[in-house]
Amino acid sequence: MNVTLAILWKDLVTEWRSRDRVIAMLIFSLLMAVIFHFALPDQRPEEIRSQAPGLLWTAYIFAALLGLNRSFALELDNDALSGMALAPGNRGWIFLGKAAANFVLIGLVEALTACVFALFFDLNLTPVVPSLAAVVALGTLGICAVGTLFSAMAVRTRFREVLLPILLLPALFPVLAGSVNGTIAVLNNQPLPFEAVQLLIVVDGIYLIVSFLGFDYILDE
Amino acid sequence: MNDAVLAVRGIEKRFGAVAALRGVDLELRTGGALAILGPNGAGKTTLLRIMAGLSHPTAGRIELAGQKTPRSGVGFLGHATLLYPELTARENLIFAGRLQHVAQPAQRADVLLAEEGLADVANRRAGTFSRGMSQRLSIARARVHDPNLLLLDEPYTGLDRRAADRLTHHLRRLRDAGHSLVLVTHDVRQAAELADAAVILVAGRIVYRTGDEGLRGDDLETAFSAALDSAA
Repeated sequence: MNVTLAILWKDLVTEWRSRDRVIAMLIFSLLMAVIFHFALPDQRPEEIRSQAPGLLWTAYIFAALLGLNRSFALELDNDALSGMALAPGNRGWIFLGKAAANFVLIGLVEALTACVFALFFDLNLTPVVPSLAAVVALGTLGICAVGTLFSAMAVRTRFREVLLPILLLPALFPVLAGSVNGTIAVLNNQPLPFEAVQLLIVVDGIYLIVSFLGFDYILDE
Repeated sequence: MNDAVLAVRGIEKRFGAVAALRGVDLELRTGGALAILGPNGAGKTTLLRIMAGLSHPTAGRIELAGQKTPRSGVGFLGHATLLYPELTARENLIFAGRLQHVAQPAQRADVLLAEEGLADVANRRAGTFSRGMSQRLSIARARVHDPNLLLLDEPYTGLDRRAADRLTHHLRRLRDAGHSLVLVTHDVRQAAELADAAVILVAGRIVYRTGDEGLRGDDLETAFSAALDSAA
């Protein structure tokens, strides 16, 4: 656990000082919102409400891809990845630290992106903040669990920028399905659908366990 | 293992169809310093990374005296520094200490910074350091958990003559203090200055090893020249 906390602390401090990942993800999300705004002009309020969850999660996933790609790429400077891999014991704790840091950084970007979407699409999110936050947290956990694993797999390959989306996007289908269904219900002021929440919890659990156990092999050269 | 701190038994490593190591055996006694020499592509770094636990061998095994969990008790210094440029020198050492389960990483970091002559720049970001300062910080990082065995992969890369001499002096002090060293290099002079035993690796096989009489610079030079000729 000490290793997990150390990596979480290190990732947040280095990001605070460089701000390269959060700013890149934020600018990308902002541009997505602008593109969607102009690509779907003159929408009626009910049309906007039906499309917004899908658009929001599309922006979330592609912004997360940017952040996840950089997550381990930064560890290649000075071969710091080897320094981390030298930690004795189960490397699953390293995975948890990296995934936790990704969760915090991507979650921050998602919160700000939601505000931008609310502005562009004239959505009133204030009454649904707790339930929307719950759905976004569950979806983001799934993205970070499997995304951190695949980011570590892709980082030592020549085509990591291409490989990560090819590996990750198919694995995110169930996360996307649960998250979008949950968000549709939340934005229509309905209770959270049990099936969507159940799907997200099961998928998150599977991805976390598989990634924790598999990380030892991924970091091996 | 007798008094050996490290024993390498029949190590083989393949990357697809390419055999990087083909049955390597060697031992290092406690407090000893072993140089591994060889031309580029001989498998030196691969062997060292297997010793460090960064890579699994295809066949064979590594025995490290007193090792309870994988990768414990080993300090690794590569030609890259393993440092985070955004963190200060002190933060880099505290982080490394926490990874290595050091009980009081902050105190240990302060001790090492003082020993390496970096106390004055402890709160400066590592990214602002010169190559020589980074190398000293990197040595401190490798020693943060006080390992029995230090693995050094081309530690002289990028150092000028003065910094290289300082590093040799420093590594000798560590050896005299009881640390065992394995040094990967292709510089015979540096190997002879630091090590008391040497092996030469060519195409994944040991083609020369020093005998009971210990390391003699002239013999090593001759053997290394012959190895380079055979590899060419």
